[in-house]
Amino acid sequence: MSNQRQASSASQTPHLSPAELSYLYTSLSLPKSPIRPDGRSPTQFRPLSAETNILPGTNGSARIGFADGTQAIVGVKAEVEKTILSTDTLASGIEDQVGGEGGEGEGLSAAATGHGSWVQMSIEIPGFRDDDALPVFLSEMMRESLVGSVADGEGSGVGEMVGGLKGRLVINKRWHWRLYIDVLLLSQPLSYPLPLLSLTTHLALLSTKLPKLKSQGEEDPFFDDDWAVAEYLYPRTSTPKTGTTSHVRPPVTLLVVSVGENVIFDPTREEIAVADAVLAISVTRDTEAGNLKLLSIRTIDPPSRLTTPAVPNSENVNMLGATASTEDIAVLNPATGEEEVPGVWRPRRGGIKRSVIAYMIKTVLKKGGVGEEVLEGLEGVEVE
Amino acid sequence: MKSLRRDLSSDPQASNVTSKVFVRSTKSGKVQKIVRELYLRQDIPCSSKLCSLCPSIAPSDANGNVAPFVLSDRPAGTKAFPRGHYLVPDTNALLNGMDLFEHTGAFYDVIILQTVLEELRNQSLPLYNRLLSLIKTDEKRFYLFFNEFRLETHVRRGPDESINDRNDRAVRAVASWYEEHLQVSAKKGKKEKSVPAIVVITDDKGSIRKAKAENVTALSLSDYVSGLEDSDKLLDMIGEAREARDTKGPAGQLFYPEYMSMSKLMTGLRAGNLHQGVYNVSPYNYLEASVKVPAFNKPLLILGRDNSNRAISGDVVVIEVLPQDQWKSPSTKIVDEEAVTRNDNPDSEDTEAVVSQNERKALQEEVKRAHGNSSEGKPQPTAKVVGMIKRGWRQYVGNVDSNSTGSQAASGRRQQTVFVLPMDKKVPKIRLRTRQAGDLLGQRILVTIDSWERDSRYPSGHFIRSLGELETKGAETEALLLEYDVQYKPFPKSVLDCLPAEGHDWKVPASKEDKGWNGRRDLRDLLICSIDPPGCQDIDDALHARSLPNGNFEVGVHIADVSHFVKPNNPMDLEASVRGSTVYLVDKRIDMLPHLLGTDLCSLKPYVERYAFSVIWEVTPNAEIVSSDFTKSVIRSREAFSYEQAQLRIDDPSQKDELTESMRHLLHFSKILRQRRYDAGALNLASPEVRIEASDEVGDPLTDVKTKAMLATNSLVEEFMLLANITVASKIFNSFSQTALLRRHATPPPQNFEDLINQLSKKRGMELDVSSSGALASSLDRCVDPKNPFFNTLVRILATRCMTSAEYFCAGAHAEPEFRHYGLASPIYTHFTSPIRRYADLLVHRQLASAIGYEGEDGHAVIEGVHTRGKLEDICRNINYRHRNAQFAGRASIEYYVGQALKARGEKMAAGGTDTGIDEEGYVMRVFENGVVVFVPRFGIEGVVRLEDFVLPGESGSFSVSERRELAVHRTTHFNPEEYTLRVEEKGHPEKERGVDVELFQRVKVNVSSVKEEGRGAGKRRVRILITG
Repeated sequence: MSNQRQASSASQTPHLSPAELSYLYTSLSLPKSPIRPDGRSPTQFRPLSAETNILPGTNGSARIGFADGTQAIVGVKAEVEKTILSTDTLASGIEDQVGGEGGEGEGLSAAATGHGSWVQMSIEIPGFRDDDALPVFLSEMMRESLVGSVADGEGSGVGEMVGGLKGRLVINKRWHWRLYIDVLLLSQPLSYPLPLLSLTTHLALLSTKLPKLKSQGEEDPFFDDDWAVAEYLYPRTSTPKTGTTSHVRPPVTLLVVSVGENVIFDPTREEIAVADAVLAISVTRDTEAGNLKLLSIRTIDPPSRLTTPAVPNSENVNMLGATASTEDIAVLNPATGEEEVPGVWRPRRGGIKRSVIAYMIKTVLKKGGVGEEVLEGLEGVEVE
Repeated sequence: MKSLRRDLSSDPQASNVTSKVFVRSTKSGKVQKIVRELYLRQDIPCSSKLCSLCPSIAPSDANGNVAPFVLSDRPAGTKAFPRGHYLVPDTNALLNGMDLFEHTGAFYDVIILQTVLEELRNQSLPLYNRLLSLIKTDEKRFYLFFNEFRLETHVRRGPDESINDRNDRAVRAVASWYEEHLQVSAKKGKKEKSVPAIVVITDDKGSIRKAKAENVTALSLSDYVSGLEDSDKLLDMIGEAREARDTKGPAGQLFYPEYMSMSKLMTGLRAGNLHQGVYNVSPYNYLEASVKVPAFNKPLLILGRDNSNRAISGDVVVIEVLPQDQWKSPSTKIVDEEAVTRNDNPDSEDTEAVVSQNERKALQEEVKRAHGNSSEGKPQPTAKVVGMIKRGWRQYVGNVDSNSTGSQAASGRRQQTVFVLPMDKKVPKIRLRTRQAGDLLGQRILVTIDSWERDSRYPSGHFIRSLGELETKGAETEALLLEYDVQYKPFPKSVLDCLPAEGHDWKVPASKEDKGWNGRRDLRDLLICSIDPPGCQDIDDALHARSLPNGNFEVGVHIADVSHFVKPNNPMDLEASVRGSTVYLVDKRIDMLPHLLGTDLCSLKPYVERYAFSVIWEVTPNAEIVSSDFTKSVIRSREAFSYEQAQLRIDDPSQKDELTESMRHLLHFSKILRQRRYDAGALNLASPEVRIEASDEVGDPLTDVKTKAMLATNSLVEEFMLLANITVASKIFNSFSQTALLRRHATPPPQNFEDLINQLSKKRGMELDVSSSGALASSLDRCVDPKNPFFNTLVRILATRCMTSAEYFCAGAHAEPEFRHYGLASPIYTHFTSPIRRYADLLVHRQLASAIGYEGEDGHAVIEGVHTRGKLEDICRNINYRHRNAQFAGRASIEYYVGQALKARGEKMAAGGTDTGIDEEGYVMRVFENGVVVFVPRFGIEGVVRLEDFVLPGESGSFSVSERRELAVHRTTHFNPEEYTLRVEEKGHPEKERGVDVELFQRVKVNVSSVKEEGRGAGKRRVRILITG
């Protein structure tokens, strides 16, 4: 059991027969107009229910429930911590200028720009130990996009977040916030839980507030004891029409699969099971201008690789001579470049065409594309 | 993508649950978001006796009792509210007018909101405590309404609403709810009772305006008070602070630097750049203060008004050390505030500079001095106040400075500003606005400080009440008690209820089967007697000694068994723990325990059986202790002696009875013990004590003033009490290694003695070895001047002042080597022998009873409160404070009495001629640049002798005070700080024979008389000391 878990990073595969897999694959890979089992369009998301600030004791929290019954809760807590400057970095400030990020010179620069380790994320998935591959992998994947997103524009406008999340955590040279993001999957991981966890984390971070700082400069931090004046972690600008909106958003990781030439968003468990490739795409918006930015693409081991292949009639001893040989003529699958007998399931070997990836990214990032739709949808969740 | 939000509006319970969220910063630097859930209820009563609805819903306690309703059904009316009214004050009203609310003439039926109470607690803890005790008393009818928990009156904070606005809204919400609620209930009751008006008292103009819009009656405190009878008097009691700021508008000139922000202070304190300590003003120079901080051995000096930055003696301040070029040596000058600032006008705000010209001059001269003698005077580090942690403000007793009232003082009811001179010299003048300046002149009054703004040179405060005429016995005694925070109100009924029901008829049970005899030894056949000062009523201790068959002796100390009567944690115990100690004034005793216990049931009176707690030793004829034993007992004292009587009986060879013999044994042992103690290094310290034996005789009152005579019997009792205390201390420490209540006297740091050592070696060539208490004791013994028998005592008095004071502590608070009692040279010590007059002894009794397994009369003695260290430490803090204050109050009382006695004598003399005072001997204790401090052993007083009080050769000493003051101007001094000498002479007459030289430790002839002092000491009768040569 545990072995299987370790192997199938994309969660349990549904028990489908090779014939069912083949049928599903064929309908999803219909050129230009895939037919999804639930009748959605390729970019359509399933409805979800979401709410924020469900855990009063946290700095920010959210719950999201997907239509397939999976639910996740995320709580964000913040703690004040002393920034420890290693003595060698203090001694040599030059090194920092040369070396930039990483390595020994990180200490001093961390005091100004923040440090990735200030964000801690732990994911709990029922049935998994916290050191199992899946939670560790998931948390690292999400954390990486969180701390990696640094605005490159010298934003000076209101609602900008200079230095990204890391920079926001800096209080002064000697103090910083440490964020603990606790992600709890409430249900069994029916489908690959990444998008659910990522969306929930996104919402939780949006609702996260930090106590308002009253001290100035390099003083020991001293905070206003009124929670009502606490400030959002992701700064917001208020517009008269829509109330407060935040332009800078935490990253969202979306799961996208490709089946043949088709790109399918928000895949169900069954759809993942037949996908040629599974990709996790992280996008964010870190400037006021509103353009989405691609943070990362990760390929995820597609579960279809592990399915049992079907046997074409031509090779089936039981069917010897029962069928016409013409039916079994192998054709070249244009998406994978492999020879396949139509209607006979063969495990996918992975691999994806550049054009498909390019299309995927374009669909996500373009104005009015999937990315914006998701962010808007999440904004619709009233963040108190 | 659709996102939905779960809808909570359908949940019927949702409105009952709400929460309160805030950020808490812990000491360790953690910042936490705290959420408290609130469950709103509808059964919190309005507590008005008018209400017909609430009695049915009011919750009852476990016994089914409903708390009685507080607010009267016939509340008092005023001109504006003829139907009667209930008051709903907001926080500011209470902050500014707490004294009004405590006034017995008005302010009845007040609804205190939970919101207000909590806000008040955050702003001022003392006021909060006063409000709580107001709520507790029945007669003022204050009702604490938990508005935050009642569904109808709970107010949620709106978006962008400040917390103050929200709280104000809560107050208005309560007012309108009460109005409505009472009307509904009146209709329902079908009784045509008139519904009282609900009046919100607030000083917030915005809130008053909003209240108008919401149809709520709201008045400012002063508007409300103006509508009352006696409004003039009441108006004075409104706090000065806010009102004044409103009228003044944006402040003009700022005299004082601003305090640093809290976060800056914290950063500085943690980093060690700033220091925190208690601000302590010098008794000789009001412009000089010291702050002892943990970081340095010696206190830091704070000089001048700028640096002291509005700190008042007793405040906890944060200070910053000044650069080294501003370091100075402490002043050598006596500077009195009223002498320097006599002509300040309390009304003028704009013209005054923070440091007046005179003050500046005084300070400059000091700087000169500090720089001049830099050869010897090492300038000391100075500091300035940069922040305020906690104000130590209290109520101050004082009197109106007659110079500050306008010429038209007596006329009219015009409000004017006057200065109040607090009795405590360390406290600056307080600016006070009053309409009754004329009436207050010549009265002892109680005032409080409200604020000290940056634009005001003096703190402003308000009047609380008058104690009576200056110099009347009642007013002065009360002033003294208030000033030293002595609880002098009669015991409340709840305390008296704890007394045994039999009253004075209580007796030790006759039958030994009685439970009172459980665990008690019958010691009635022992020949026990007590030896006390004459007229002593509360006899704590009694003694006995008898020889044993084996040649050894049995010695017993029997202490009144107070813990039998005062059970832990009942109201009597709590009251006693607050009082801490009995306070002895010259003509009055403020008891810690009710009279019945102290002077009768507990007191080990002769000829009657009493419960006692006995310590019994077996000692060899050489006073070596063989064994010790502790037991609860029943004793019958054979006789109560005074020290003199006992002495006479012992000395009388014809007395051969057993009792006298046992006293002789005791005396014998006590001498051995005493010698042993001194050999171990105990100090024989002296304090300038006199004893007043008040007699009703019409004779010279001064004859009542007696210096304490030491008889051998004094030290007899003392030695055995010390022995008992030490024995008990080690016993309870063995049993309770963490919680034993002990007393320690810390070894004083050697630098405390530096000045004295210098002075002695300079003036007398004597050495003082302070390396240990033994070394100090023997070197003190060597400080003898054959020509001046009092010199040794004087040095002892001065040495005592260099030491730290002894303190109670809880064993766990210090490491065992720190338990040492320096003065007694004992490794461990406690107080066991005076439970009637000290609370510490009572606690020690309980601990000892528990240590010896005494089970109490019902078999399970409760000794709770003796085991928890936290609580004990609280108690220690309180009794240390009370103990010190009791001593101060006692001394002040004696000083007052001496003054009065001198005055009475002076008047008598004046009737027959002129008041010439009394010629006495005095000793110079300190030399300043413009005066000396002289100690007069005959009266146990010390006084400042200023320039004008030196009688130069060739002039008569009988000038009046004002004439003498004139003299000061014509005089000049030569002060040598290294030799501690001062020469006073007439200006322009440097001839040797025309001047007077005085030096430290010198014996001088002085003339003591009592003069009516003006200004601050008014009524106190300054004892004027003239040096006549």
